[in-house]
Amino acid sequence: MLLSDLMNVWEANSLTTRTIEHLTMFSIAIVIASIIGVSLGIYLYSRPGIAHPVLNFLNVVETIPDIPLLVLLLPIFGLGEEPTIVASILYSLLPITRNTYTGLKEVDQQYVDIAHAMGLSQRDILFRVRIPLSLPMIAGGLRIALVFTMGVVTLGGLIAAGGLGAALIAGIQLYEVGTILVAGIWTGLLAVILDGFAGSIEKKLQRRYGTW
Amino acid sequence: MPSKRIFDRIDSIQLRGVTKKYEGRFAINDLTLDIEGGEMLILIGPSGSGKTTTLRMINRLIEPDSGTIHINGQDIIELEQVSLRRNIGYVIQNIGLFPHMTIAENIGLVAKLEGWDKEKISERVKYLLDFVSLPSEMFMNRYPHQLSGGQQQRVGLARALVMDPPLLLMDEPFGALDPILRKQLQEEFCIIREKLGKTIIFVTHDIEEAFKLADRIGIMDDAKLVQIGTAEELIFHPANDMVASIVDTGKKFKHLDTLRIRDLMTPLDNKYVHAASLAVDEAIDSMLAKDIELAVVSNGNEPVGIVRLPDLMRLGETSDTIGDHAVSVPSFASDELLEPSLKDLHEKGHSIAFVTDNGRISGFLFPNDVFRQLV
Amino acid sequence: MVTIETILGHTGEHLVLLLTTLFVSICISLPLAFASLYSKRVGYVIMKFANLAQAVPSFAVVAIVVPLIGIGFYPALIAILLRALLPIIKNTYIGLSTVNASMLDYADGIGLNKWQILRYIRLPNAYPAIFAGIKFASILINSIAILTAYIGSGGLGELIFDGLVGFNNEKILAGAIPAILIALTLDVIFTAMEKKLVPDYRK
Repeated sequence: MLLSDLMNVWEANSLTTRTIEHLTMFSIAIVIASIIGVSLGIYLYSRPGIAHPVLNFLNVVETIPDIPLLVLLLPIFGLGEEPTIVASILYSLLPITRNTYTGLKEVDQQYVDIAHAMGLSQRDILFRVRIPLSLPMIAGGLRIALVFTMGVVTLGGLIAAGGLGAALIAGIQLYEVGTILVAGIWTGLLAVILDGFAGSIEKKLQRRYGTW
Repeated sequence: MPSKRIFDRIDSIQLRGVTKKYEGRFAINDLTLDIEGGEMLILIGPSGSGKTTTLRMINRLIEPDSGTIHINGQDIIELEQVSLRRNIGYVIQNIGLFPHMTIAENIGLVAKLEGWDKEKISERVKYLLDFVSLPSEMFMNRYPHQLSGGQQQRVGLARALVMDPPLLLMDEPFGALDPILRKQLQEEFCIIREKLGKTIIFVTHDIEEAFKLADRIGIMDDAKLVQIGTAEELIFHPANDMVASIVDTGKKFKHLDTLRIRDLMTPLDNKYVHAASLAVDEAIDSMLAKDIELAVVSNGNEPVGIVRLPDLMRLGETSDTIGDHAVSVPSFASDELLEPSLKDLHEKGHSIAFVTDNGRISGFLFPNDVFRQLV
Repeated sequence: MVTIETILGHTGEHLVLLLTTLFVSICISLPLAFASLYSKRVGYVIMKFANLAQAVPSFAVVAIVVPLIGIGFYPALIAILLRALLPIIKNTYIGLSTVNASMLDYADGIGLNKWQILRYIRLPNAYPAIFAGIKFASILINSIAILTAYIGSGGLGELIFDGLVGFNNEKILAGAIPAILIALTLDVIFTAMEKKLVPDYRK
């Protein structure tokens, strides 16, 4: 395929606009999921009694297949971006919350002990010791969430949310091989790039906040 | 929010009938102990004897099941935990420097929480780093993993001193270091201690260390305090066989006039020897990696002197070799008599000497360390 | 009006696709994982590829299969395989390769050969990881098998997509609810099997 063909396919399907739609839904979902997930993780850490039931519930949500989850949200949110974003958030909550909770809980006890001995309050220990030392773990959860969200946002095309999924659907319905290949490869590439970017941030955090 | 200064100096610490049980077993059984202000008390005993538990009760990391602890006549249970702990320095064997904070942030953390301004914190951090012989401009912005074990332990001490606490609790602070480095740090600590003038409670399982550093020694066994007293009291009037056997291993001074250097020298590991042709920065890397702060500079097989890690680090960018900076030290044969050699070193003011066997270096002699063992 | 027969029919199609794919992916993944155990390079490539492929959205994989292989049951099966193989391979490989070094040393010491080490030491050590991989794959397959209805695999997805096109909520639910029930059942079954098959000392 020539470059000019590629440009034609790209423009005919307004893939720039589709990509922007795609990334907008993605970003909104990830930001909201991070805020809720990290806060929920911290809350569960402070209330260990309810941690297990809540995580188990999120586990069940995680098991529900993506398309049924999307369609079940339709009566509440209608078609379009909203149910797509909500479904992405629901899927992302488990990895982010679970990793935040586990990270906080499993901080090396020696640091907590010395922090107590130095006269740090519970609050200081949480914010200055536990949370920073959990950042690599939290980033790991975020990375999983990012992959889930990319998947769900792409499916959003099926319920009129736009994004790159819409381009894939157009390609399949009209059986335009060029469209399918360009949109499909671009969607995959975008996901891999974002995942690689998140992976490098995770590694950086591990070096910076990991323990030696 | 600044916590209040609970005490500026320690007059007395009294433990009365303190008991702590874990799963039915006594960790501490009816312990009564008086600590005088300004003294250095060393608690020694086998593992599980209750010495660490005793220490951790004083800053309330562990609460007793029964009994009371008073500092300056005040029951510590009535004090607020956070402010009590900010008035007590705590140093432990595995140091526990926070890996995500620089050295300066580690040391200054509590001062920051107390609301000190930046300049005051940085001034205090610099003062403390220099106090523990770490050039501040070089170490402030490093992370703990970039330091050797000995350097981390110094930072641990500096961190414990940040609020200038009148009481220091130290739990086997030199326990994880290799013998030569341990002796160096003990020596430094002796000097620091005099400058500090603080009350110190120190836990160890090394009786030599106890003899060297302590004003009084408390021997613990099986959750009880067996005997407490000065080194002499323990040596001459041991309360039972167990005390006698612990004390005996530290006793090397029976016949000073017949002792030879090899009896009290510190044997040398090969990792200490570095070639004189080695570049300064390579030597620094090698010493950090081996966790040593002192190296023997040798020319072929012949030792030409020593270099110390902090001195090398202070040089900054340089293309010199360590041979250029080696400090020559006296040398003795291992079968020489100890007493005249010590006198010689003392008169010339040397704090370290090589010990050689057939011309090959086999160890160090630290005269101050030996003196303390002999006292 | 959706009849019970319609639902059962579509559920049957869905289950056939699901179980076939699961079976095929286990058959392919396990030997590949064993192979990669004995070649560092193969192992490295597989792990890299597994991580990469896991990031690609399912819809992109399903779509790309269409111009390459066409539509229908087999293209759907291949699309799902592309996503389901790697979690099993990856988990199996991790399980087999993260064995306590001193245990391997000991095994060498008492004269076990490669095959015996695999059979008696590596494999039992890897059971939990292998199970986790298969469980994860089965749930993934269930969800992609709905999507592949879009490229003509039939099954429960077909009911959902028909319902979406015709704004027929009854049809949508007739597809979605059995799919959810299947997912939950898979989770329960595999969790129970895991408990039963993984020896006590591993728990």
